[in-house]
Amino acid sequence: MSFERIKPHFPWITLVVLILIVGIANPSFFDPAGLLTLVSDVVPLFIMALGMTFAIYIGGIDLSVQQLANLVTVIATVYLAEFGIAVAVIAIVAGFAIGVISGFVTTRLYVPSFVSTLAMGFVALSAAKFLSGQRALYMDAELRDASFGWMFGNTAGIPHELAIAVVLLVVAWFLQTRTTFGRALKAVGSGELAAIASGLNVDRVKILAFAISGVFAAIAGLLFSVKLSGGDANLANGFLLLAIVAVLVGGTPLTGGVGGVVNTAIGTLIVMVIRSAMVYLEIDATQQQMVFGIVLIAAIALTIDRSKLRGVVK
Amino acid sequence: MYELRQVDKHFPGVHALKAVDFKVNRHEIVGLVGENGAGKSTLMKVIYGAYQPDGGDVLIDGTVVRFQNPRMAMDHGIGMVFQEQSLILNLTVMENIFLGYEQQFVKLGVIDWKAMSEAARRQLAKVKLDIDPAMTTSDLSFAQRQLVELAKVLTLEERIDGDLVILLDEPTSVLAQEEVELLFSLVRDLTKRASFIFVSHRMEEVLELSDRIYVMKDGAVVDVVAHDGADKDAIQHKMVGRDVDKEYYREQKQKPYDEDKVLVRFDGVSSGNRYTDISFALHPGEVLCLVGTEGSGREAILRTIFGLETPTKGQVTIKGETISRFTAQNGVKLGVGYTPRERKIEGIVAGMNVYENMTLSQMGNYASAGVLKVNEEKSLARTWIERLGIKTPDVYKDCGGLSGGNQQKVVLAKWRSAGADIMLLDHPTRGLDIGAKEDVYEMIREMCAAGVGVVLVADTLEEAIGLSHTIIVLKDGAFQKRFDGKPGSKPSLYDLVHHMI
Repeated sequence: MSFERIKPHFPWITLVVLILIVGIANPSFFDPAGLLTLVSDVVPLFIMALGMTFAIYIGGIDLSVQQLANLVTVIATVYLAEFGIAVAVIAIVAGFAIGVISGFVTTRLYVPSFVSTLAMGFVALSAAKFLSGQRALYMDAELRDASFGWMFGNTAGIPHELAIAVVLLVVAWFLQTRTTFGRALKAVGSGELAAIASGLNVDRVKILAFAISGVFAAIAGLLFSVKLSGGDANLANGFLLLAIVAVLVGGTPLTGGVGGVVNTAIGTLIVMVIRSAMVYLEIDATQQQMVFGIVLIAAIALTIDRSKLRGVVK
Repeated sequence: MYELRQVDKHFPGVHALKAVDFKVNRHEIVGLVGENGAGKSTLMKVIYGAYQPDGGDVLIDGTVVRFQNPRMAMDHGIGMVFQEQSLILNLTVMENIFLGYEQQFVKLGVIDWKAMSEAARRQLAKVKLDIDPAMTTSDLSFAQRQLVELAKVLTLEERIDGDLVILLDEPTSVLAQEEVELLFSLVRDLTKRASFIFVSHRMEEVLELSDRIYVMKDGAVVDVVAHDGADKDAIQHKMVGRDVDKEYYREQKQKPYDEDKVLVRFDGVSSGNRYTDISFALHPGEVLCLVGTEGSGREAILRTIFGLETPTKGQVTIKGETISRFTAQNGVKLGVGYTPRERKIEGIVAGMNVYENMTLSQMGNYASAGVLKVNEEKSLARTWIERLGIKTPDVYKDCGGLSGGNQQKVVLAKWRSAGADIMLLDHPTRGLDIGAKEDVYEMIREMCAAGVGVVLVADTLEEAIGLSHTIIVLKDGAFQKRFDGKPGSKPSLYDLVHHMI
């Protein structure tokens, strides 16, 4: 068994090993109720990572997701009274629009995606600060429950949040594996030049990938906002690093073309286990980002497809 | 002195080398021939240390050695002259020659350029190349670069005490006749110091240069012939496993084309400074060959027809429709298929399997409301695998893992199955072996019989002459001459070269 052959199985093996380690050190980790809470808590992050997967799958990255989610928390809080449940539509349109702009800048103006999305992230942050007047805003509890109360609560012991996550995963999986768009994504991620020479509209595929990333980030922001019953230009801070880590430890490399949304589900669970292990080990919150930074580097080093990097002998 | 004994190498799903015995004696030039996928490149990689064999032994002067990487092999005197030239173009010649071995010129932490330059000059003298070592490599011709590659490997002479084994992988593919002869006389000269392993698709060259020839087929050595006993036809027979048709380019199958219909028409088309004022018409059943040197505008014309390049002047008409927006999507819609030269990068998507590659240009036909009908894709792929004799274990095989000839068949199947009737072929047989080339020629004739118009940029002039109905000679982007190539009255090589340069 060579490393290359184990590599696709690496993420779930890592997950199982981590769960066993954490579970043995702290048997209460396996308590069903506690586990369910842990999993539900990670849902907004998961949704964001799900969207990010599309951007990374084509060999790009979307650094605007966190700020976009911040903006959406503000939008949702400010406009909830006026539009009710329709703020969800506004949020999604905003996410889509920002994604399309990032994609347009990347494909038509040839600005690398890490720069274009970083810039769009600051645009979103600025808009969030402007809209919120730099204050933390709160939702009216009654209005919130009327419009979005269905997002929380349980049916037959399953938290609705978790159900939303599963539905979105299925949608994303379907998009990725069963549609012409998903196939085009794979072609662009694995061999962009061949995709062009096959007559695919590569620019449109890429723009759509960023748009999807934006939409998922907006949904994540909305969920987060409703969950915390408020909006703030800094509410979703800390998500970006974790979302990237989730995608990469899941096995979708920065070079794109392999992995996908199911990998991201595994990656998110890995992030969740590491995070709960750190809580158990009483690692200070300020140090957690450091750990994830190191995990990120390790994940990139392990997953990146070196044969795709130019100038390197295979 | 260098020897492989019963060497085995497996890859997932492939037994790439089967108990290979291979031996190189001192001062010897050993030829290595075989079709694509016969295991030549794997064998070479084992020899120069890029792969480690799963079974068998590597011996130098009777002692078993094991190389973990190419550098270790180099330390034992085994050097590789790469086919895809491995020089770094923006470095100077001397920097390239001593890349990774600069330490010998370092004094007090800085490189003594003068010493390096002198040492480089000595290396270049070995290959009889009189150039300034401080030249930037990109300013050299292809032939000069090939010699610099050789000079770089020959630095082993000073570094290693023992014997040298130098692998030459397709060293002649970018060289002109005189340059090939120069290289050969050089190699013969160098046998005083080193042994050579010579790999080439050009059988005549292998026969001319080698003392012994190893013939490989399906991962095994099927024959070893001595220079004196070598016969081209016999070797080709062993490589392919059947007789090579004398009617190589299938001229007997060349039928007159339909002059009444026009598929593609160029009227005084120009594109920047790539080509100017080009006019021609492509008819159903015609093979129209664009002939010219590198940079004569051949590829740019193909890309214009496909829609990847927008002309600056003139009128392009495809099937009666005047093209105003040049996009590849539009080209595909009009039935244009494009087989690019860089097969591994532009032709197939490595990482995607056979059916995914075949439907890539026509996903709309295999989907409703954007949802793919994977079963239909697979049955399409199975049909074409059988029809074109594509060698793949199944439709799930990653196309990146297929041999060159089979990759090319996948690309052709992609366009043919989508009903493309204007085929643009850019070096469709580049790097393919005889058997795979013949398959491509056969397919071109079949396409013509089915009313497809083909615009071809051929790999060699012989191929251009043999395959085409019409030849257009280009020079520096300008039209030079048009030749008719009916079987029996084809232009000669000289006719074409005369107008090319």
